[in-house]
Amino acid sequence: MKATVVGAGGLGGPLALALGAAGVELVIVDPDVVEVSNLHRQIQFTASDVGEPKAPVLAARVSRAGGRAKGYRLRWVLEDADDLSADSDFIVEGSDDPTTKFAVADWAVARGKPYVIAAAVRFGGNVLVGGPGTACYRCLFDEPVAADTCAAAGVLGPVVGAIGGAAAALALAAARDEVRGNLGTLYAFDDLRASPDPRIVRFSPRAGCPACAQRKAS
Amino acid sequence: MATIRVPSALRLLTANQADVDVDAPTVRAALAQLDQKHPGILKKVLDGDAVKPFIRIYVGADDIEALQGLDTPVAARDEIAIIPALAGGR
Repeated sequence: MKATVVGAGGLGGPLALALGAAGVELVIVDPDVVEVSNLHRQIQFTASDVGEPKAPVLAARVSRAGGRAKGYRLRWVLEDADDLSADSDFIVEGSDDPTTKFAVADWAVARGKPYVIAAAVRFGGNVLVGGPGTACYRCLFDEPVAADTCAAAGVLGPVVGAIGGAAAALALAAARDEVRGNLGTLYAFDDLRASPDPRIVRFSPRAGCPACAQRKAS
Repeated sequence: MATIRVPSALRLLTANQADVDVDAPTVRAALAQLDQKHPGILKKVLDGDAVKPFIRIYVGADDIEALQGLDTPVAARDEIAIIPALAGGR
């Protein structure tokens, strides 16, 4: 099984390590380099990685743990999507860029692949699981404008590990079709300091959703 | 009293209060009460008379967009959940 992990930071780290250890062959994509300010939450990196590109460093870490991964220092954009991800069985998004989240979801919908969109801010996060024939990310949220980002609101270090781990488990289940009914679902983890239980939001296709319309047209 | 569940991402505006009790007949009135108690939060949730496109509001298990929008009735002991899109994670 193959997958693309978009983002090699706080969410991408645990995602890639968990999926790689589970035997999934990975393409990891991230345009950034490791900064000192990342180290409290991006525990896949060490001080000696500062200044190095995140994606190749993370891929090497996955490989040292026995997995298979390639890392690319670039931003995942639709123009390159087929080159990077066409042979992926599923795709997982863990960047902090709203535009990238929508691009990944739209591409996955068009290609009929399972996908997971993960995010973490402050003490909680969201994990959306989508796949063929179900309501999509754009059915739930109309536009790539986020309510909040880590840069604006901060994030508690352990939260990204927990959300990344949950996203990995949900992605594997979706890709293997193990959990009936988890496609088209948002898992909203409100405050992990208070409760690990998410609010489970099952949502319906939205009339006029452009991503779903494009899928039907193709 | 109904309860508004304020998401973690917006709790800087409620002094970290997660649940805010309101006594209001509709979602619109409930949000107005929330803003009276915690000024400034309404403009994070609404654009004029519409819910922002990156926010969904649920009454119980139902998205208000599938009900009567901001005019959806609210009963005592209802839970109103504000669910925003998030982008953090790097």
